[in-house]
Amino acid sequence: MRPSWILFALRDGWRRPLRSAVAAAGVALAAAAFASLLAFQRGYRNGMDAELGRLGAHVLVVPKGCPYDAASIALHGANWPCHLRPEHLLGVRGVPAVAVAAPAFMNAFPTADGGQDVVVGVTPDLLGLRPGWRIDGHFPRADDELLVGAEMAARRRWSPGQVVGMTALPGRALRVAGVLAPTGGADDSFVYLTLESAQRAFSHPGGITHILVRLRDPDLLDDAVSQLRGCEAGMDMNIVPMTHLFRTIQELVNSTRLWLGCVAVVALLVAGAGVANAVLMAVAERTREIGVLRAIGASRADVFRLFWMEALQLCVVGAASGILLAAGASRFVESWLRSRLPFAPTDALVRVEWSVAVATLAGAVVLGSLAALMPAWRASRLQPIEAIRNPEDFA
Amino acid sequence: MNTIDRSPSPADPVIVAAGLSKTYPRGREQVRALDGIDFAVGRGEFVAVVGPSGSGKTTLLNLLGCMDTPTGGTLRLAGREISGLSETDRTLLRRRHLGFVFQHFGLVPTLTVAENVALPRLFARRAEDGRVGELLRQVGLWDRRDHRPHQLSGGEMQRAAIARALVNDPSLLLADEPTGNLDSATGESDIGLFRQLNAGGLTIVAVTHNAALSDAAGRRLHLRDGRLA
Repeated sequence: MRPSWILFALRDGWRRPLRSAVAAAGVALAAAAFASLLAFQRGYRNGMDAELGRLGAHVLVVPKGCPYDAASIALHGANWPCHLRPEHLLGVRGVPAVAVAAPAFMNAFPTADGGQDVVVGVTPDLLGLRPGWRIDGHFPRADDELLVGAEMAARRRWSPGQVVGMTALPGRALRVAGVLAPTGGADDSFVYLTLESAQRAFSHPGGITHILVRLRDPDLLDDAVSQLRGCEAGMDMNIVPMTHLFRTIQELVNSTRLWLGCVAVVALLVAGAGVANAVLMAVAERTREIGVLRAIGASRADVFRLFWMEALQLCVVGAASGILLAAGASRFVESWLRSRLPFAPTDALVRVEWSVAVATLAGAVVLGSLAALMPAWRASRLQPIEAIRNPEDFA
Repeated sequence: MNTIDRSPSPADPVIVAAGLSKTYPRGREQVRALDGIDFAVGRGEFVAVVGPSGSGKTTLLNLLGCMDTPTGGTLRLAGREISGLSETDRTLLRRRHLGFVFQHFGLVPTLTVAENVALPRLFARRAEDGRVGELLRQVGLWDRRDHRPHQLSGGEMQRAAIARALVNDPSLLLADEPTGNLDSATGESDIGLFRQLNAGGLTIVAVTHNAALSDAAGRRLHLRDGRLA
């Protein structure tokens, strides 16, 4: 029969349901912004790390032009406007710091469903960069052999040994030499041919769109980049260190993150003010009740605790709703962010995970505690004599 | 100093007031709400404080309830002088020794009757040991224990408030116009309850305008202009 503090605060906190709901909704919006920001922060960093890991290269060598565009094309697949020549590959391979130099020729074709087929000509050097690849079958050895990404194979219902045709390669009968196990990256939707086969098929004999380079010692990246830029072909190529590139991209993304952060901070301040105002109004309305509670044995600390818990439960309810809102809206937020970012990894950008939920709830507890300080302190300083002076508001 | 209705110096006093005064500032003036009164209330007494409005009855009750501090004289409650007590000590004194009944009942509308009655136990950090149920049966509200205050009649609300005042087994019950918001029949019923509690040994001080309640008390303190008349 004895009420618990939580029950007491919960019942009192929702005595004015509309007011409490408005205050909690403010917290929910702030929590949703906060959770989305955290989820984006984590998702983007993890996505970039995963992308870097999947690429397996320390340096990307591309034709002269924008390195960000080049990286985006190499990672996600598209048509290249210009090409490197075999002498560039020889120059790269001649650099002592280079362990593996895997040339690629990439071409992309629109499909009837609005997507695209990406065909990449490669050499077995690529396997030195992708030790995680699991192939059902084997890497293409002959001109008419394909290695198909898991997603592409599933979509087309292709399996090893099957003879297939592609609109990108009209008039050619191709045999699926192998199907790649899912990697979680863009490789899953690519089709791999031998380099020579791709160069011939797309009428660019000897053409190379990019070279993926793995170094003997990644710690000596700067030295290796200097060597590459200093080689005979160095002036004709763009040497793009992937970690530097990803770091620069992350710095570019910081402006988006900062903007989101500002929105979250403003929302948190407004929500905190809303909660403080709701609790202040409750204190004003229940002045006489506070006096009665003091008269029947509540200490100042008890009164403080009661109003502090009321604010806290408003914030916890709001934060829980906000987390659900953030999780529900994550797809929308993700597509909105993708349309505004200079480079976005293939993986989910906004990941509302348990750690994000816990951090958001913790933030709400801090917000509630701060918002409740002033009204709860004010309530605790009220004199019990008020109870007897003002009898009108009681049951 | 006016001490007309001085008690016969009880052997075991719960309240001892000597030269008790309370002065309030009102603008530039000082209003003497209580003007040096002396009285004592013995354990097990039922005392009614009567007098016209503005005579100082409520001020006296506030002082007895440790909700206000005297500006002059001394006041001992349950053997302790209250003038020098800290806020914390006064809270502890209220929690352990005093029970309050208000004219306006003072029940928390969001809690059930049983939870309202048990509320002082929460503040006193005392476990529920069946005392709430015992009191609810005693005041005839056991069947209404899960109701909210707004579902009760005035008399039932006052009985719930009385049960709440008794839940920590106080040595002194203070009541401020306990029948003030009740019709006469309900008031009579609650007066019967006060009699019954007093017969069980509970010390009661009730401020009242109700002649039936003051008749039920064993003794009257008549206040007029802050003095005992």
